[in-house]
Amino acid sequence: MHRNIRFILPALAMLWLAPPLFAQEAARPSLEQKVEELRRQMEDGRKAFEAQTKEMQQKLADLAKPSAPGTGETRPLPPQDVENFRRQMEERQKAFDAWMKEMQRKLDELSKSQTQEESPNDAAIRKAVERIMAEEERKKSSPQTEAQSGVTPEQMQELNEKVDRVAEAQKKTLLSEFNPSIGLVGETIFSYHRRRSDESGSDRPGGFDVFQRSVELNAAASVDPFAKAYVVANAQADPVTGESTLGIEEAALQTTSLPWNLELKAGRFFGEFGRLAYIHDHELPFVNRPLVLAQYIGGESRTDGLQVNWLLPTSHYISWTAGVGNNFGGDSPNPDNPGAYRGFTGLNFWSRLSTYFDLTPNWQLETGVSGLWNPTTEDRGGAIVQPNGVSTLTEKERRLVGADWKLSYVPLRDNQFNRITWGNEVLYGDNHYLSDPDGVPASGDEHTKSVGSTGLYSYLEWKWHRPWSSGFLFDFVENQYDKHDRTYQYSPYITWAISHWNQLRLQYTHTEHAGTSPFHADDAVMLQWAWIIGSHSHGWQQR
Amino acid sequence: MRPRLLAALSLMAFTAVLLAAQPAHAAKIRVVTTLTDLADFTREVGGDLVEVHSLATGVEDTHGVPMKPSFVPIMNRADLMVLVGFDCEHAFLPALLEASKNPRIQYNHSGYVDCSKGVIPIGVPKSTDHSEGDVHPYGNPHYMLDPVLAKTAVRNICDALVAQAPEHAAEFTHNRDAYLAKLDAKMAEWKKLAEPLKGVKFISYHEEWEYFAKAFGMEAYGTVEIKPGIDPTARHIESLIAGMRADHVTIVIREPQFPERVPRLIAEKTGATLVKLPIMPGGVEHTDTYIEMMDYIVHTLVEAHKT
Repeated sequence: MHRNIRFILPALAMLWLAPPLFAQEAARPSLEQKVEELRRQMEDGRKAFEAQTKEMQQKLADLAKPSAPGTGETRPLPPQDVENFRRQMEERQKAFDAWMKEMQRKLDELSKSQTQEESPNDAAIRKAVERIMAEEERKKSSPQTEAQSGVTPEQMQELNEKVDRVAEAQKKTLLSEFNPSIGLVGETIFSYHRRRSDESGSDRPGGFDVFQRSVELNAAASVDPFAKAYVVANAQADPVTGESTLGIEEAALQTTSLPWNLELKAGRFFGEFGRLAYIHDHELPFVNRPLVLAQYIGGESRTDGLQVNWLLPTSHYISWTAGVGNNFGGDSPNPDNPGAYRGFTGLNFWSRLSTYFDLTPNWQLETGVSGLWNPTTEDRGGAIVQPNGVSTLTEKERRLVGADWKLSYVPLRDNQFNRITWGNEVLYGDNHYLSDPDGVPASGDEHTKSVGSTGLYSYLEWKWHRPWSSGFLFDFVENQYDKHDRTYQYSPYITWAISHWNQLRLQYTHTEHAGTSPFHADDAVMLQWAWIIGSHSHGWQQR
Repeated sequence: MRPRLLAALSLMAFTAVLLAAQPAHAAKIRVVTTLTDLADFTREVGGDLVEVHSLATGVEDTHGVPMKPSFVPIMNRADLMVLVGFDCEHAFLPALLEASKNPRIQYNHSGYVDCSKGVIPIGVPKSTDHSEGDVHPYGNPHYMLDPVLAKTAVRNICDALVAQAPEHAAEFTHNRDAYLAKLDAKMAEWKKLAEPLKGVKFISYHEEWEYFAKAFGMEAYGTVEIKPGIDPTARHIESLIAGMRADHVTIVIREPQFPERVPRLIAEKTGATLVKLPIMPGGVEHTDTYIEMMDYIVHTLVEAHKT
């Protein structure tokens, strides 16, 4: 219908224009009428001439009648009268021939113009139609100018130039357009720790330190209409040797068009467990990863596996995720173990169920529960030497459950300038170990041991301007090998987001150890400078 | 453990079947729009045949609508996703679309209704380098503030509705034409009313009024932001104030989603009039529809110019 309008409009315009034009036709004779009129006049003139000639011949015959009735004698005409009559007849014939000749000339001219020229009415119709067609073509190429009645010729010229530029640009296809979107993230940590690392248990040296924590290269693109893929390669400095190594943090394929609200992810990725485990370091709200995530999960929830996510078909948001993977956690060992055989129970299984509530238009509550289970883990970490330097623990089974909730004040009007977030996560680990008190394998004192340990973090953050926010993080964790070894951390921090791609964060952390912990309290100041170049978008998980 | 696992899986599967067996959806076309002006247009064209939900309520930043998970089920069931385009919704829509798991409304699918189709943008950057701030690579996306260009959005919405329900094409087309006629009449009225605004210079917080200025003959002098998405520095404000004084800039526009402090300070220093103007329906009170919003904007600016 919309496309056909360019044909319908001219037709309607013709109908609209036609009646007045036909009215003019009636007032002013057309070419055909003129020709017909001339022909009619010629016929009438010929008939009139013939009639007059007949009348004159009759008079001549009357003049030649007998002078006396019944006598049979004719009276001779005077010679001058006969001569006059003959001259009149000739003059009439000449006049008639000249008139007929003139009429024929006019007729020929009209006939010629009828075949070669366009009548004024026809020309008016043709011009009107052409103008409407041109207008429709112009509207077709730049629809938004359709309503700009009254625009100046200069504006029209400018618009036409723009249309041409756009049309020209659309023809260009660069090879680079086939490239995936690429971004690079850099993150440097400047820090000062009051104690040596062997006294504080920190993974960074005491005193002053500069640590290029990560340089991440991100690339993502659609694979085809059914899937997309992304890669995160991370160049990271080794904490001990300082040498940089390039590793693949994530490289996964993710479906985009599965039915029944399903989504599959396969490859290396951060498995969905808890609230912050699958967030990259530079996207955390604070400088360090919470202790409980660092210890119980092993940092980021990296896995080589398969994960399915299902958005339940309800009017309330409920999301369910389940996955299976070889390892789980950035530091989780994944030894090659030549010759070993890993059964199905040797894999990690995890799941998460999450939901969300709009408490008010400005207050939101997100919550979820997660679980991780690795039924057989003896082939992974090997024997772990305990702090006494003698006894060892070998993990046999890994079990972890967690609950998280986040209460947020996100005002609709100015959420870029004002926001409050209270985030919490509690994890409970119930791992089974083979304990060897003397550290000598098969000496007879080995026994299985279960350790139930708890850890949590809670942070409150207030964003009071677009670039500025500050918060406080509380950390608590029980050692997953010895629940009596407890660590507490208190970390106020302030963030200055100079722009979306350039951010500074200053954090002070006070660490306390309790129970059987061999470490001492420590204080640290950290300045994190993170930057992004190129493409960078926040996915659903990073919201 | 295994019997318990099997029981849990069975319960989950049973629940899934129950949830999947929901009653059939109503016959109405379910439309989700990113912004409120698009929702208004969709209601005008679709009438009773559409069920419209806008992600924004009107007071949000067009680039910063909060990504609420409660949007996800709504988008999951949508037939059409109507958006401004030109990357206006880049900060929230791609992630929401991914989470919605609705193939119909994904980019390049039939339910993805980009209303910028047919609009020639202004302010297309020569480079998308971030030294220019959070630039929009396809040009300034705030074309909805030009009623003539907004008509293009109306047409695009109508086309999408017709494609979705061809049996109602006549009704949609009739509604569209009636609404466009109404907009034409209002535009003539706004143009006449805004005659005194021709050549009047103004600043705004964000580059939101370039299309409006062009439509009504005003002159966008500058922005409070240094660059799009980059907050002002003291030096920038000083420079802006000096320039405004020299060039007789008389109006300071503050969009509802931005703080008032700096625009007020600039207005006080320069003697310009500070006005708060909505960027979509619902941004301020009594602007529930697009026409009401444009009425409010034009009247407020004319009054500000008088003072």
